[in-house]
Amino acid sequence: MIEFRDVSYVHQNGVKALDGVSLRIGSAEIVAIVGENGAGKTTLVKHVTGLLKPATGDVVVDGQDTRKTSTAALSRKVGVAFQNPDHQLFSESVEEEMSFALKNFGFAPELVEQRVRWGLELFGLEEYRKSSPLVLSGGEKKRLTLACILAWDPEVVILDEPTVGQDSIQKEKLAGTIRMLTSSGKTVVLVSHDIEFLWPMQPRVVVMKGGKILGDGPAPELMQDKRILEAARVAQPQLVEFGECLRERPEVPFADPLEARRWVEKSSR
Amino acid sequence: MMWLSGGFIFRRGTSVYHRLDPRAKLLVSVLMFATTLLVRSLYELAGVLAFMIAVSAVAMVLKRVARTMLFTAGFSVVIFVLNFVFTRNLETSLLYAARFVAIVVSTSLFFITTSPDELEQVMKTFRLPRDVVFAFVTAVRFIPVMFLDTIQIMDAQKSRGLELEKGNVLKRVRNMIPILIPLVVNSVVRSGELAEAMESRAYGAVPKPTSLVVYRTRTTDKLVAVAAVVLFVLTAYSFYFVFPAQIL
Repeated sequence: MIEFRDVSYVHQNGVKALDGVSLRIGSAEIVAIVGENGAGKTTLVKHVTGLLKPATGDVVVDGQDTRKTSTAALSRKVGVAFQNPDHQLFSESVEEEMSFALKNFGFAPELVEQRVRWGLELFGLEEYRKSSPLVLSGGEKKRLTLACILAWDPEVVILDEPTVGQDSIQKEKLAGTIRMLTSSGKTVVLVSHDIEFLWPMQPRVVVMKGGKILGDGPAPELMQDKRILEAARVAQPQLVEFGECLRERPEVPFADPLEARRWVEKSSR
Repeated sequence: MMWLSGGFIFRRGTSVYHRLDPRAKLLVSVLMFATTLLVRSLYELAGVLAFMIAVSAVAMVLKRVARTMLFTAGFSVVIFVLNFVFTRNLETSLLYAARFVAIVVSTSLFFITTSPDELEQVMKTFRLPRDVVFAFVTAVRFIPVMFLDTIQIMDAQKSRGLELEKGNVLKRVRNMIPILIPLVVNSVVRSGELAEAMESRAYGAVPKPTSLVVYRTRTTDKLVAVAAVVLFVLTAYSFYFVFPAQIL
């Protein structure tokens, strides 16, 4: 579905943002891209919709070279929800905001109405349908941007820091939506620092540092590789860390981490 | 766009010109600006522009000044067309168009070699009200941020199928609405947040806050200032008394 072939990219200030990145993402995969700030995560995803063109190498999306395809054409297949919702909201009402992309892609009016209703219901925004998107709270704005992307049903959904400003219930709902998307055959790429949010979904994890890929593999495997995680300054999920603590103490007779945690706390008092 | 914007944004440099006292750099820019207003022929303007390019070379910002010129070229074309339509005089129209480029380059030279902190000190030297200085310097400081915001907004809207380069002029102007509204809203929100943050850090608590930087004019700065004034006087004299026939 998405293929990076030895891709390099240099910013105008001379900083090498991507350095020989090769990556293949298939259909219906959940891929989490993690790494410290400036690792090249956002630069990587901007290449998927052709917003950035590789200096060397190729990026191919669904058989199309991003150098030869317009961002609008690629966006029909790949929806990107960027980090800051304030960078995209401009319409007079939430429903107009949601229908913006649908109209750009030439959807029929009935379908626009149907998709807007679906998106608003999915993200609990029906009551704000006629409100200005600019008066929504930070979390609601974030949900609206996600709804805007999902509205046109792209094959690949890229979410850049989707959990910023979301409370725990909204995070759970978001995780549910992501599972729903993958079960319906969509590819989901998550760029996030929120390891605790990513861990339960057990995604394929791509660890980046300095524009290079340090590690690529299933979460249970990669999240135990302290060498890679420390090099990329990525924190281990608390449960993995706790599991390691348990392994160091064979006298702990509990399999359930939560029960064991209580026992450890009690015994160390 | 980001490439062009580089022609107006300050970046730290190590050239002799960068190291000059900001007041000397301001004087040079003001005098270059004034000279562009005094010129009356394309030959004179070419001379002034050549001088500006020489200063840019000394300041090692030639490429960035070239970007400034390229950026202003679009506006210059409009100025040329309007003047030509109303005056039907090719030389006057060309002069006004080129003069606009020279004016922008003269001011750009100051801003791309002077940090916002130095700018603040210059304005304080002129005893301007603190609020005015702060507002102006903050505006200058936020220019790169605004450019970055613009790029990110454009990326976000392009990812939703917006095609900025498509359609006729009217459609292209309409396509800018999804860019401009978030940009303006962000700026207003940011200014409100900045005001609150400044107040919560005791902005305005005392009439004269501590200043950590005291500029002392060195001999080089004085020499540059004197040379700039002498050169300006000589140029103005030659324009009006040595070659008076060139008045348009």
